[in-house]
Amino acid sequence: MIGSLVFLGAFYAVLAVVAATVACAAIRSRRALAAQQVDEIRWHETFHELPPSERQCRHVATGEFRYRECPHAFDCRICETHTRLVARKPLILRDTPQEEIFGMSFPLDRFYHRGHTWVRPEPDGTVTIGLDELGRRVLSSPDRVELPPAGAGLRVNGTAWRVHQRNADVRLLSPVEGQVVEVGGPDWVLRVKPADGCPDLRHLLTPEEVRPWLLREMERLQLALSPAAAPTLADGGVLVDDIAANYPEADWDAVCGELFLQG
Amino acid sequence: MDRQLIARRLPRCPARQFVLWLLPWTALLAFGLYAAGLCLVKGLNQTNMDNRFAFGLWIFLDLTVIALGAGAFFTGFLVYILKLKELSAVIYSAVVIGFVCYSGAVAVLLVDVGQPLRAWFTFWYPNVHSMLTEVTFCITCYLTVLFIEYLPIILKNRKLRQVPSFLVFEFQLHKLIYVLAGAGTFLSFFHQGSLGGLYGVLRGRPFAFREGFAIWPSTFFLFIISAVAVGPAFILLTTWLVSKISQRRLVKPQVLDLLGRISGLLLSVYVLAKTVDTLIWINRTSPGSGFPAWQYYSWNPFGTWILFAEIVVFGLIPALILLIPRLRRRTGWLVSAALMACLGVALNRFVLTVQTLALPTLGFDQFVSYRPSWQETGTFLAVVAYGVLVYSFSFRYLQLFPQERALEAAPAAEAEPVEEEPVLVGRYSL
Repeated sequence: MIGSLVFLGAFYAVLAVVAATVACAAIRSRRALAAQQVDEIRWHETFHELPPSERQCRHVATGEFRYRECPHAFDCRICETHTRLVARKPLILRDTPQEEIFGMSFPLDRFYHRGHTWVRPEPDGTVTIGLDELGRRVLSSPDRVELPPAGAGLRVNGTAWRVHQRNADVRLLSPVEGQVVEVGGPDWVLRVKPADGCPDLRHLLTPEEVRPWLLREMERLQLALSPAAAPTLADGGVLVDDIAANYPEADWDAVCGELFLQG
Repeated sequence: MDRQLIARRLPRCPARQFVLWLLPWTALLAFGLYAAGLCLVKGLNQTNMDNRFAFGLWIFLDLTVIALGAGAFFTGFLVYILKLKELSAVIYSAVVIGFVCYSGAVAVLLVDVGQPLRAWFTFWYPNVHSMLTEVTFCITCYLTVLFIEYLPIILKNRKLRQVPSFLVFEFQLHKLIYVLAGAGTFLSFFHQGSLGGLYGVLRGRPFAFREGFAIWPSTFFLFIISAVAVGPAFILLTTWLVSKISQRRLVKPQVLDLLGRISGLLLSVYVLAKTVDTLIWINRTSPGSGFPAWQYYSWNPFGTWILFAEIVVFGLIPALILLIPRLRRRTGWLVSAALMACLGVALNRFVLTVQTLALPTLGFDQFVSYRPSWQETGTFLAVVAYGVLVYSFSFRYLQLFPQERALEAAPAAEAEPVEEEPVLVGRYSL
């Protein structure tokens, strides 16, 4: 009798543990949905699915590391190594207004996200968000653009807006957290009121990091477009204005996935 | 639509080619379902089993696929409990293989036992003195665990993860996966063992009867060791096979090497244990039952060759190949050894299922031969086809091999990079 109870008890206990595990996951999911953590989770999943070559620390591009995978999903605000390196060798501010790379212009009055969006602090306390020049040339002829309405909330690395082009559905990643105030400006896409008044932008690339980062981005673009693109860029030419139109045979979904960190 | 379901940067064959691949397997599955339907509707008279041969092709299949499917729980144990992170490259594939093996085994058992509408009787009126009750409980529980482990892999599908609740549930479930891995390990250890114990307690069949420890005969432990030994070998074999068929690099060579090493180590332990067990059986257990062991091997085709093949050809030799690093590094040797190990466990299950029942035990008994009917064979083939279909869909639409995407971009012989101290060549000097 005792043996039977032990036998059955053990199995029903295991079954109860399994059921409790699933229930626990369901409860946690409900809480995460209520707390609007979807963007955070999506980025976490996307980041860890990126190939190691795309998870490289920003300090690799600047030559400070030969190899280092970012352990913080590109959130340098919580990275001790980043803080230590910046303290050891502070940023050298340049007085040039913009960088010219492969015929593309990158203004240095703003901070760049590795998903090819930028953020520019405005005098009125808001920030404007836009698509950088490389991103613009890749998504130069969109079929459809989905902008968030005024009042919508943005999360760092969450979806800022969407662009549909050919077979690609691209989520442009938000560089800051805040509330959308206005959409569709002259040289920006969104005007955002930062969540905590003065936004912490340490996770974004500074103007001084733009050139080394973009050189790597051009390499990645070549690989995504390869083999056709390799000779075009290797000879030091200028990047065409509408890349999609010039590479009709390229798997555009894969190219955009690569460049805009879509996972 | 098909393209939108496939993860980015995972090249897969065109949809038409995929359909052509599926067609023969679907036809085989349809044929098998018809055969299984006949058995369910008309009864077990459709098979060549009888009161003497109560276990036939189906039980052999069940025992074999359950042993081969052990790779799922054992890899889960190594990855989530022992934190052997290198094997996370094959864990999703291992879960799918485990799910296919166990669900296939349960489906065949439903046909074999019959009366599927009364399947719940075994849980409501359990015979707690039967090893089979323990097996039924464990397999059912573990299949549930495998389904729950398979769920996050399905929800990782590119289209499904666009649904926020699926994405979040998958994420949260994956965070608790170590609990399921632990439960799976507990359940698997017991049902693998009980399947072996089932034969070891057959006093009326001295060929299978074994002494043991407490209530567990030695076959209880041998089944566990053999299953954990061939589980990694089967994962290795299937990974290599899928890589060949899809013409893709799926995992780093080091992963296959590690699987081979683990399998080799455990296989050598199994061969040692099996040898000791066989010697005890030949010299003590069998004579104690009144039967000299040589007598069992005088019935053709079950000569001593079968014992030699089981222990040496498909046991010792693959174990040695997998233990020698120089041989393991050559894909041909590695894969051949893994195949031999898998064949070895299949042979072991065949011997215990078929040879045990074929041999006469009493004075008036006769040697009985058994040949499965086409309905039995059809049901057997349906399980194979089902496995291929589920795995094919999973490979195409789910990300079974996390390293595949990185290997696509990386050169073939890329060394594992290591993080270094910052070189400080001067910031932003480029």
